[in-house]
Amino acid sequence: MLHKTDSNAIWFVAAALGLFFIGGLLTTVAPPLIDKSWAKPFENHDPAKGPTGKLVDYTAQEKRGYDIYIREGCKYCHTQQTRTLASDVKRSGWKGVDSPVSTPDEFVYDYRQTFGTKRTGPDLSRVGGKYSGQWHKAHFNNPRDLVPGSIMPPFPWIANNPDELAALVAYLQTRGRAKEWRPDNDYEK
Amino acid sequence: MAIQPGSESAAAVAGQEIHQDTTVKWFLLGAVGYFAVVGIIALIIAAKFVWPQFLGSIQYFTYGRMRPLHVNGMLFGWLLAADMGLAYYLVPRLCGVKLWSEKLGVATSILWNVIILSAIVSLLGGYQKGLEYADLPTPVAVLVVIAWVMFGFNIFATIATRKYEQMYVSTWYLMGTILWTAFVYLTGNFATLLPGVTGVNQANLNWMYTHNAVGLIFTPAGLAVAYYFIPRCANTPLYNHKLSMVGFWSLAFVYVWTGAHHMLHGPISQWLQTISIVFSVMLLIPVWAVVYNFIATMKGQWHQLGNNVSLKFLMSGTIFYLLTCFQGPMHSLRSVNAIVSKTDWIPGHAHMAVMGTFSFIAMAGVYWVIPRVFHTKLHSEAAANWSFWLFMIGGLGMFTSLWLGGFWQGWQWNNPSIPFIDTVIALKPVWMVRFFSGVLIFSGIVLFFYNIWSTALGSGKSQPAPAKAEGRVYAA
Ligand code: HEC
Repeated sequence: MLHKTDSNAIWFVAAALGLFFIGGLLTTVAPPLIDKSWAKPFENHDPAKGPTGKLVDYTAQEKRGYDIYIREGCKYCHTQQTRTLASDVKRSGWKGVDSPVSTPDEFVYDYRQTFGTKRTGPDLSRVGGKYSGQWHKAHFNNPRDLVPGSIMPPFPWIANNPDELAALVAYLQTRGRAKEWRPDNDYEK
Repeated sequence: MAIQPGSESAAAVAGQEIHQDTTVKWFLLGAVGYFAVVGIIALIIAAKFVWPQFLGSIQYFTYGRMRPLHVNGMLFGWLLAADMGLAYYLVPRLCGVKLWSEKLGVATSILWNVIILSAIVSLLGGYQKGLEYADLPTPVAVLVVIAWVMFGFNIFATIATRKYEQMYVSTWYLMGTILWTAFVYLTGNFATLLPGVTGVNQANLNWMYTHNAVGLIFTPAGLAVAYYFIPRCANTPLYNHKLSMVGFWSLAFVYVWTGAHHMLHGPISQWLQTISIVFSVMLLIPVWAVVYNFIATMKGQWHQLGNNVSLKFLMSGTIFYLLTCFQGPMHSLRSVNAIVSKTDWIPGHAHMAVMGTFSFIAMAGVYWVIPRVFHTKLHSEAAANWSFWLFMIGGLGMFTSLWLGGFWQGWQWNNPSIPFIDTVIALKPVWMVRFFSGVLIFSGIVLFFYNIWSTALGSGKSQPAPAKAEGRVYAA
């Protein structure tokens, strides 16, 4: 049959698109229909079933911060996923307590996925509440002032713009906060 | 019996005069220009890894804006434009007819320039969609779709009027490229923005696009070019037509399933991860079929490599293709992925695909085509040879330093008692080697640019080369 595609362009187009669409549809359209957790925000009140908590939508200010995160391309250096690897849950952890792994239901309100591909800097999926706003301001102004050896770029135009700084910090402080897992609930603002 | 891009024949000599090639010239000269411009951006971002303050306090030149410009500029400004220019050259020749419309072709090229220039302005301004590879803002993405329809229409209309019934492999690959790109691009740039598409769902669509931008756009476009120019430059028939069919149809079926392997161990359904792994391993089939065909074609012809720059680029591109497509399936194994994923290994791998393989193949085509469409000789064979070695040495320096560094980095990450910042500091020598490899690669780009543009600009002055016909023969 495929021999016909050699000399007949119509046959060719039909075969090329047909084969493509089998995999194309099964891997893009089907999965969200099969796996409902992709679209259902995280909510759990039963400690027996794992960490409790509820995912809430972004506020207007947090959305502004989200847009700044996109605009500055932070995601080219930072991932936002605590993977199912032992080292990931330890590195995202807090005071010796392992962090829960990231699950699809924690990202339902993310209108621009920020999972990322490269960890030039550390993963940010549980960075919410790790540092104070003051720390972030100094860090954005010049990361090397706080972390010698860092190669994160300076962002003085954000650090010196109170509106943008507040928005970006508000966004960062939401990261990973749907699940309540830190034993002392000691989150920085 | 198979059709070949062959050597001189009476019919071919007669056919020679029908080609105007205006569109080819527009596309290729533009692509080569953007290669040089975006090369500067590449060098700047490599420098930022070593000197993070460099151009750091100017928001338009911050890393997070330069990097998408580097990626999109290389992919769309250089590589895709070069492949399109070469398609405008080889499809009319493989079909034995004129390009359907040179006017439409030139209009497409002008629109393409508008796209690339708006991309530069908007990405540096921070206007971007925030989806990797689909970073271009929606209005620019709409222009890309329009340009693609104009390109596809022109090529398909040329094929519809062809004189030879049977189609050569390159023609299939280009038709495949046009069809698949349309859907892959729409998925990544528009389906991702549909209401209700967020989080993991959006990432999955984004990955379907990003992965297939390489697998179903640059791979078939590059292979089309290689299938044409390897036999053409070596002046020998393609080894086996049936094998090329195996390669083509397995690519058509297998590639699209693998997008989720970019999120292994991540927050995406396990069963989808497993499917993507199984199909990733199957990718070895189309790759080995193609590489075997290329290598077997060169049997008895290897001596030609010495004085033929295009063949040097083509055959090193083939070897890099074999290597990069061996790495890919290996990265998709869960155990290997746990070490290399998200490290500097990955840009090492990606550059071997997009630069080492597909840019090498496109450069081979450009070096071959430009003197012929301008009816002249290449400005300097020596400079072309130098450009090859600069690319080769710089490329190998970059790939190997990133692999070694990335593997070491992944190893350290897997030991959580090492603070993250120590793993950053440990990589500094690696990023230094990468920067100096980049300097070599950039020098190669500059030589390439200078040679191609000098050939084009000097074509009126120099002696016209003896008209070498380029037609087709039917080989046993
Ligand atoms: C060139 C890559 C790069 C870019 C771009 C970048 N970062 Fe970073 N980032 C780093 C590195 C490296 C570190 C680790 C050293 C440090 O803390 O400065 C880091 C650390 C951080 C930390 C501290 C994480 C922790 O757990 O200690 C935060 C928060 C952060 N970055 C946020 C951002 C934001 C927000 C942006 C965008 C405005 C951004 N980064 C852009 C490389 C980058």
